[in-house]
Amino acid sequence: MVFRALSSSKPIQGIGGFFAMSMDTAVAVFQPPFAWREFVLQTWFVARVSLLPTLMLSIPFTVLTVFTFNVLLAEFGAADFSGTGAALGAVTQIGPIVTVLVVAGAGATAMCADLGARTIREELDAQRVMGINPIQALVVPRVLAATLVALLLSSLVILVGLAGGFVFSVFFQNVTPGAFVAGLTLVTGVGDVVVSLIKATLFGMTAGLIACYMGTTVSGGPAGVGNAVNETVVFSFLALFVINIFMTAVGIKVNL
Amino acid sequence: MSIKVTVQQRFPRLARSSKNWHAGWTRIGEQTQFYGRTLASAVDVLVHYKTELVRLIAAMSLGTGALAVIGGTVVIVGFLTISTGALVAVQGYNQFAQVGVEALTGFASAYFNVRLIAPLTAAIAMAATIGAGATAQLGAMRINEEIDALEVMGVRSLAYLASSRVLAGVIVVIPLYCVAVIMSFLAARVGTTVIYGQSTGVYDHYFRTFLIPTDLIWSFVQAVVTAVVIMLVHTYYGFTAGGGPAGVGEAVGRATRTSLVVAVCVTLLVTLSIYGQSGNFNLAG
Repeated sequence: MVFRALSSSKPIQGIGGFFAMSMDTAVAVFQPPFAWREFVLQTWFVARVSLLPTLMLSIPFTVLTVFTFNVLLAEFGAADFSGTGAALGAVTQIGPIVTVLVVAGAGATAMCADLGARTIREELDAQRVMGINPIQALVVPRVLAATLVALLLSSLVILVGLAGGFVFSVFFQNVTPGAFVAGLTLVTGVGDVVVSLIKATLFGMTAGLIACYMGTTVSGGPAGVGNAVNETVVFSFLALFVINIFMTAVGIKVNL
Repeated sequence: MSIKVTVQQRFPRLARSSKNWHAGWTRIGEQTQFYGRTLASAVDVLVHYKTELVRLIAAMSLGTGALAVIGGTVVIVGFLTISTGALVAVQGYNQFAQVGVEALTGFASAYFNVRLIAPLTAAIAMAATIGAGATAQLGAMRINEEIDALEVMGVRSLAYLASSRVLAGVIVVIPLYCVAVIMSFLAARVGTTVIYGQSTGVYDHYFRTFLIPTDLIWSFVQAVVTAVVIMLVHTYYGFTAGGGPAGVGEAVGRATRTSLVVAVCVTLLVTLSIYGQSGNFNLAG
């Protein structure tokens, strides 16, 4: 009975622990000394593991969307507006979502694996014994790195996606290039771009926090690290898709 | 040998880059060989390891460890597709309302959910849950030398561990994809009718008019194909993990990003081959 109660309270403890760590991180961001070296190294690391998957994911994603849109638009006799669909899809949804997939799937997993291995080897405990706060030394630079890289990546995703959509529409589906470019800004404006960048920033921060929490609470050897990475992917996807709905609804209210 | 050493020392950069190039091609060859052998051993699973297959199906659909606590793969897939279905309601309704045709939100649900959103979301959810879980399990087994132990005991490790997971993934994806499609339809409908206040009759009319049954069947084909590809990639990275606990974690990360890229590319190719010629869509009915 007691065991039942304990085991059923485990997920709630996990959520509580996550929020506690997030608060600690938020406080530690403003406490000197800031771990500049670790921050730069982590930013470069996340950017390096994410860059190639970003390019390889954003092109097929946009081409798929542009293709589906164009089938519809050609049926209306409005294929010249395919630029509008491409811009709408790339800026409002594909940009942030591909960034999520890459930052959570590539950056956060690598981060969690690295932190998890350190936790298992008791390096974090050693740091605490030496009087170094692991949140300040390890978690803060990682979370900020994930946030910055997500912001930068989302603009790259949008640009690459639009270029891919342009090539596909113009060369394979015979849309007029001028009409495609002219249609880009028809529905999508500066407000949408700003909301999209804010979305990406939030995604990066959440993915970084989840990765760091899962990584610092690993237990149970190699299988434990593997499971923690698996859970990082699942939980960050869940969280990010929920954030996406709310941010989309808010963005539409702001922009209309 | 002496010529080889001399050349290597004379042109160290060239030697290094050609070595990397060689290693890259070898890895691609090894992956292809692994995929071929895994698919070929599927027969062995059906003949010899039926019990393991059933156990894996149960474990995959309901999840293991902490993921089972929140309801397993079914709940996660359902949840992700609910959120993307709701996105259709939010984005579709508002964009259509800008040009005064918000009645067509039901059409957007029937068209984009089936062709684009449900297959992609299901692929992402599968890669994250079943796929990454398989890599983590297999990687831990490899690190603990359990796979070598299986070989020593005379069990065909490739069939027992990898092929069985691919088969189980294909079997599990069919009910999972049903859940995914139903959830995305339901979420779009509830979002449009309850939250934005469109009348259900209008929504249902446009939804039913534009829902093409053959599209649904093709979308199932897409889901099954991506499931095979995802499971193959994930079992490969788990099977060849190395380098201690950090190695398992890295293998999971590498497998996730590879399988996401491959799954989206496969979805794109299947879409182009199905709808590339005619589009299979007729507005006039």
